[in-house]
Amino acid sequence: MQLNSEPAAELFLNPRNVGDAAQPSFIGRSSSFNCGAALRISLQVDRSQRIIEAKFKAAGCSALVASASLLTDQVIGKTTGEAAELGQQPGAIENLLCGFAEDRIDCAALVCEALLSAIARYSDTVRNEWNGDEALVCTCFGVSERTIEREIQENHLSTIAEVTRACNAGAGCRSCYPLIEDIMDDYWRTK
Amino acid sequence: MIYLDNNATTRVAPEVFEAMQPYLTEHYGNPSSAHSLGRKMKAAVERAREQVAKLIGAAETSEIVFTSCGSESDNWAIGGYLEQNPARRHIITTRVEHEAVRNLCEHLSQIGFEVTWLEVDGNGELNLDDLRQALRRDTGIVSVMLANNETGVLFPIEEIGKIIREHSDAVFHVDGVQAVGKIPISLKEIEVDLFALSGHKLHAPQGVGALYIRDGIELPPFIIGGSQERGRRAGTSAVANIVGLGAACELAVSFDGHDEIERLRNKLEDEILQHIPNARLNGTPDRSKRLPNTSSISFEYVEGENILAHLDNLGIAVSTGSACRSTTKQSSPTLRAMNVPYSAAQGAIRFSLSRYNTAEEIDRALKVLPEIIDKLVQMSPYDSELQALKMSPR
Repeated sequence: MQLNSEPAAELFLNPRNVGDAAQPSFIGRSSSFNCGAALRISLQVDRSQRIIEAKFKAAGCSALVASASLLTDQVIGKTTGEAAELGQQPGAIENLLCGFAEDRIDCAALVCEALLSAIARYSDTVRNEWNGDEALVCTCFGVSERTIEREIQENHLSTIAEVTRACNAGAGCRSCYPLIEDIMDDYWRTK
Repeated sequence: MIYLDNNATTRVAPEVFEAMQPYLTEHYGNPSSAHSLGRKMKAAVERAREQVAKLIGAAETSEIVFTSCGSESDNWAIGGYLEQNPARRHIITTRVEHEAVRNLCEHLSQIGFEVTWLEVDGNGELNLDDLRQALRRDTGIVSVMLANNETGVLFPIEEIGKIIREHSDAVFHVDGVQAVGKIPISLKEIEVDLFALSGHKLHAPQGVGALYIRDGIELPPFIIGGSQERGRRAGTSAVANIVGLGAACELAVSFDGHDEIERLRNKLEDEILQHIPNARLNGTPDRSKRLPNTSSISFEYVEGENILAHLDNLGIAVSTGSACRSTTKQSSPTLRAMNVPYSAAQGAIRFSLSRYNTAEEIDRALKVLPEIIDKLVQMSPYDSELQALKMSPR
């Protein structure tokens, strides 16, 4: 497979973010039995759930290397929730790599899979370390009921998307959507 | 461009181009025409036939038929013989044939023929006892390549021909595409019935090949139509291409630089294996059993396609052992048949030289390759495996 667009080829020849993120980091892996590619993404996340470092290592085609370069670049500075949202859209990553010779959705999907697995590892850690006395509503990103209430009250949020943007709640498995809606209903009813 | 992909195709030799030129300009008759222009074209085709016959040591010039490519020759030989002999339902071939034979036999097995696939060992070599055991009364054709296109491993066709004659009355087809022009061949001295070759592998243009059909073997025409090639292969002769093939064969007969090609190949191979810890040779280390121009080397735990792209960026052309497609990137069936581990098959690179490569070019390749491999090793997620090879990432 040859890259036929200059930016994509450039991303392959001089990939960005190769290596391992500084400790403590959260590592996600993916591999494909179809093409034999293997990939590892590591993330460093600060206290405000923001990704401050994203690195990758890959043995795979040039398209995979370029995708990993691009996706790691994209998630630096984003909250883990925003990154997870990006990771759920391999099509968007593929579009960013426009100019590939043919359909590269599998390469983009593989990179997204590793990213999501690293974020899941982060979420697991946050959840396990949670020792507050309030109940967690979003267990994927360790967001408590009180945090969600506060965000809704202070910013007058009325949609789940707004809540997710504000505090990550709901960015993962989405099973907390009904709970977030209940909290919003309570707020708007009493207002 | 440093071209180290001569098993894929070769550049047209200047002498070949010169020989062809008049047949693309002032000589434009149809060789089937009776007038003097036509007769001149016919004579050129017949001279080319002699040149081809001489290079491969055919007993008779009439045993050479021109085709459009090596794949056509292979398809015609195998498909044609089976069509001519409908009682023969069994085919023997190897796991490592070129697609022109492998995919044809795969197709034939789906339409009712029985195919025995001979296995190769880790060096890419056959066990001839497997062949002895596979031969049957209804075996129609045995198809074995002379030189493997990926590894350059040579199969002992002289011995195979004897075994076939001794144990059966199957005919023997040899895909000689990758070997012709690289090693000496004398078909009149060995038991080969059908032999395919292709022009563009020996500095003739793409679009011309030939099939050697031993005197006495009958094949139905591959293309039905006019009486070209004595009715065996219809269609107006591609005179310029055929003249080019003839000229290339004559050039190959007089070529005396095989030792130099081999010396350069050996240097490339030796230094890579010596200096790059994750490099391993694919195919027998016994160089007398390999083509003198080919080295297939795997770089473990890195991706061959990445190596190709980096080399290409520096103006060096090679091939990988895998073809990446959108849904599947299958490692080469040849390397899989040799039980090359997946992690090594993915990193396979084929270097194939020609008379036009120079010592400076090989030095250049040897200079840039370790830097490329190092860069990819730093990127590889197989840290512990690479540490074991003392290629520990920084």
